[in-house]
Amino acid sequence: MGGSARNLGRLLGASGLIIAVAAALNFMVDPLQFFRPAHFFAAMYSQDSRLQDAGLIHSQDFDTLFMGTSLAIHFRQSDIDRILGVKSLKLALNGSNSREQVFVLAAALERHPGRVLWEVDDWIFHDAPDVDSNSYIPADLYRRNARGVAGYLLSGRMARESLWIMARTIPPLEPVVARLTNDVMFKFPVSRVDDINVLQPDFDLAATYNANKAIAAFRYITDPVRSRYLADDTDYDMKVRVFERDAIGLIAGHPEVTFDIYLPPYSILQWVAMRDASPGTLQRVYDFSGYFCRRLAAYPNVRLHDFREVSEVTHDLNNYADVIHHSPDVDLKVLSWLAEGSYLVDRAAPSASLDRLKAQVEAYRIDPIER
Amino acid sequence: MLFNSYSFIFLFLPVVLLGYFALGRASNLAPVIWLALASLVFYSVSNWQFVSLLLASVAFNYLIGLLLITQHLRALPRRAVLAAGVTCDLLLLGTFKYAGFLAANLDAMFSTGLAVNILLPVGISFYTFTQIAFLVDAYRGKVAHYGWPHYALFVGYFPHLIAGPILHHKDMIPQFEAACSKRPNPHLMLCGLIIFGFGLFKKTALADGIQPLVSLAFGPVTPSFDHAWIGALAYTFQLYFDFSGYCDMAIGISLMFGIFLPLNFNSPYKARNIIDFWRRWHITLSQFLRDYLYIPLGGNRHGRSLRYLNLMITMVLGGLWHGAAWTFVIWGALHGIYLCINHVWVSHGPAIAPRFKRLADTAAFILTFVAVVVAWVLFRADSMASALLVLSKMADPTQIAAGRAEMIDAGLIMVCAAIAWFAPNTQQIMGYDHANRTVGEGLAAWPRRAAFLYASAAVLAFGILGIRQHSEFIYFRF
Repeated sequence: MGGSARNLGRLLGASGLIIAVAAALNFMVDPLQFFRPAHFFAAMYSQDSRLQDAGLIHSQDFDTLFMGTSLAIHFRQSDIDRILGVKSLKLALNGSNSREQVFVLAAALERHPGRVLWEVDDWIFHDAPDVDSNSYIPADLYRRNARGVAGYLLSGRMARESLWIMARTIPPLEPVVARLTNDVMFKFPVSRVDDINVLQPDFDLAATYNANKAIAAFRYITDPVRSRYLADDTDYDMKVRVFERDAIGLIAGHPEVTFDIYLPPYSILQWVAMRDASPGTLQRVYDFSGYFCRRLAAYPNVRLHDFREVSEVTHDLNNYADVIHHSPDVDLKVLSWLAEGSYLVDRAAPSASLDRLKAQVEAYRIDPIER
Repeated sequence: MLFNSYSFIFLFLPVVLLGYFALGRASNLAPVIWLALASLVFYSVSNWQFVSLLLASVAFNYLIGLLLITQHLRALPRRAVLAAGVTCDLLLLGTFKYAGFLAANLDAMFSTGLAVNILLPVGISFYTFTQIAFLVDAYRGKVAHYGWPHYALFVGYFPHLIAGPILHHKDMIPQFEAACSKRPNPHLMLCGLIIFGFGLFKKTALADGIQPLVSLAFGPVTPSFDHAWIGALAYTFQLYFDFSGYCDMAIGISLMFGIFLPLNFNSPYKARNIIDFWRRWHITLSQFLRDYLYIPLGGNRHGRSLRYLNLMITMVLGGLWHGAAWTFVIWGALHGIYLCINHVWVSHGPAIAPRFKRLADTAAFILTFVAVVVAWVLFRADSMASALLVLSKMADPTQIAAGRAEMIDAGLIMVCAAIAWFAPNTQQIMGYDHANRTVGEGLAAWPRRAAFLYASAAVLAFGILGIRQHSEFIYFRF
C-alpha cells in the first residue's frame, strides 16, 4: 500500500470524524435527557429503568421518589401524585436487589427530595455484585463521571436512538417511525414519562390476574422438583448484613428524608407455599422480617407500612398473576393505604403485624382443587 | 484491561507504541523490556493479585529451561528436570483451575463436605501451555538460549497473554530479537489498525450485539423450540465473533509493534467436516494438543483402535482445558466421537460420484455445522441438566413462540450467519501471511483501495462506538 503513513492519517481521521459525528448527535438529541430536558426534540423514554433512571433523575422535577421491584413497576406517577399529593418520580427496577435500589436512590437523593416511597421485597437483600460489576446498571452514568459521559456520548446504540428520535420529528416520517418504534428494534418508544412501564389500556387484565394463574404458580413453586428454590437467598445472617449495609446505611445517611417503606401484599399462597414446602425457609423469613421491623421502628424518619396482613386482598387470588404480583387495582389500594396510613406499623409493637400474618398463614387451608 | 475499552485504545496502546519506538532508536533490548513491563501493567490493571503468580511461573520455567538448554545433563536427570517442570506447571494449573471441581465431585460421591473456592487467574491456561511447550522443546534440544527479557516478553506479551493465541517460542522470540521490528513501519501500523478495527467490530457490534439472544435458550425460562434454536445459534455466532474478534485485535495490535502472531481462526463455520473444523477453529490450541499430547500418546502410529483412543483422550483433555466442569468434558468427548466417526467415514465411506459432489458438499457442510451447534450447547450450559433441557427443546417442535421479536432475532442470526459463511475472513481480506511475514501486499494494487480505506475507518469507528461498559471476552474465563 503506497503512502502508508498518509493512509494511516486518513484512516484515523475518518474514524475520528465518524465518532465525533455520533457524539455530537448524542449530545444534541440527548435521548436520556442527561444534559438537559428535551427542548429541540420530543422527549422519548425507554422501558429499561436501569438506563432510563439515570436520565430521569436529572430531567424531571420531583419531591418524592418511588422505588421498588417488579411489584412496583406498573404504578403510574400521576396516580401517586394524585393520591398522595406529591410530585413523584418512579424509579422502580424490575428484579432489582437492594444494592441496585440504594445506588439509584442515593443518586436521586442528591437532588434533595423530601420523601421516599419504597416497596421492599423480602428477597432484595442478598449478596448481589456491586454496581460496577453489574452489567445492567450504567453506574458511571449515574455518577456523571468522565467514563459515564464518554460511554453515553460514544455509544453507537445511543446514536441509533438519537437518529431515530430525530427522524421522528420530521413530519412525513413520523407515522412510520412511530410504528417501527416498538421496543424491539428501538429502545425509546414511550412519549410520556407517566407511561413508562405501565400497563396499557388495551392490556388484558382478566387474562393476566386471576386465581387460576395464582394457583398454577403455587403448584409450580411447591413442586418437589423445584421447592428447594424457595430457600434461595434466605440465609438470616446474610440478609441482616446486606439490609444493614444497604437500607439502614441509606436511611441513617439521610435523616432529613422521610422513608415510607411498605411491605407489599403478597398473596397468602406465597406464605403457604413456604409453610408447606419449606418450613425452615418460612421461619427464616419470619425471623428476618421481625428484625427488619424492629430495626426500622428505631428510626424517626421511617414510617413502616405492612400490607402483608390485608386479607381482603391477599386471600382474593383473582388479584394475582402468580403468588406475589398483584394487579393495578391493588396498586391503587396500596397508594390509598399509604396516604391514609391504614397499616402503619406501631413503633411500640413493631412485630404485631407480623404476628397477625403468622396467624393467618397458620390458619389458611388450601382447597383441594388448589392442590 | 480489555482491548475493547477506551482506556486501552486511547491511552495504553498509544503510550506503549510511542515508548516502544522511542526506545527502539536507542537500543535493541530496551523496547523488549519496555514491552514486557507494559504487558505486566496490562495484566495487573484487572488481575493485580495474580501478577506475582505470573512472574513466579515465568521465572520458574525460565530456570528449568535454562537447566535443560545449558547444562549437559545425562538422560535420566534431564528427564527428571523436565518432569519436575511440567509437573509443577500442571500442579499450578490444577490447583487454580481444577481443585474446586475435584472437591465438588468428591463431595458428591462421598459427602466429604469439602468445598474449594479459588479464584481463577486470568490467562493461566494460556501461559501455562505456552511454557510447557517451551520446556518440552528445550528437553528435545529444539530451543536456543534465549535472554530472560525475551523469554518474559514471549510469555507475557500482552496481545496474547489473556486469551491466546497460544504462541510458540520459535516463532516469537526471533521476532522480539530482530532489530527491524523496533522501527515504526507505517504499512504494518496501517494494516494492524485495520485488522484491529475488524476485530473490534466483530466483538462490539456482532458478538455483543447478538449476546442478549443467547439467554432465550440458556436463561431462567424454559425455552420453546424456536427460542432454543435462536439461543443456541446466537451462542454459536457470539462465541466465534467474540473469540476470533479478540484474535484479530491481538494480531492487529501486534502488527503495530512489527510482530506477526499466528492465526487462530480460518472461517471455521465454512468447514465441511469435523476434521476440517478443527483445522480452522482455535488453530493454535489444536496444534498444541496435536504436538504435545496426541503425537506423544502415539498418534496414529499404533493402529486404528489406539488412534481413536488417542483422539478421544486428546479431545476430552482439550475439553477439560476449557473449564473444570462435566459439560466441558462431555463437549470434548462429543467432538472426539465426531472426529472418530469422521476418520472412519474417510477410511470406509463410499466414494461420491462427481455429479453428486455439490449436493454431498452441501449436506456435509450442514451436518458439520449442526453437529458443532449441538456441541456448543454443552459448552455453554451451566450444567448437564440445563444442556439436556435445551437440546430436548431443540428437538421438540410442538412449542413455538414465533412472534415479531423472534422474527427480528432470526434476522439478526441470519446476518451473522451470512458473514460467517460467505464473507472472506480477516486474513483473506488483508492478505495476512504469518509464515512469510507479509500483510496487505495486494492492497496497493487494488483499484478501490480508497473506498476500502474509508470502509475500514467506518468499521473501526463503529467498533469503538459499540464498546459497552461490561463486555469481557468469553475466552478470558478459560
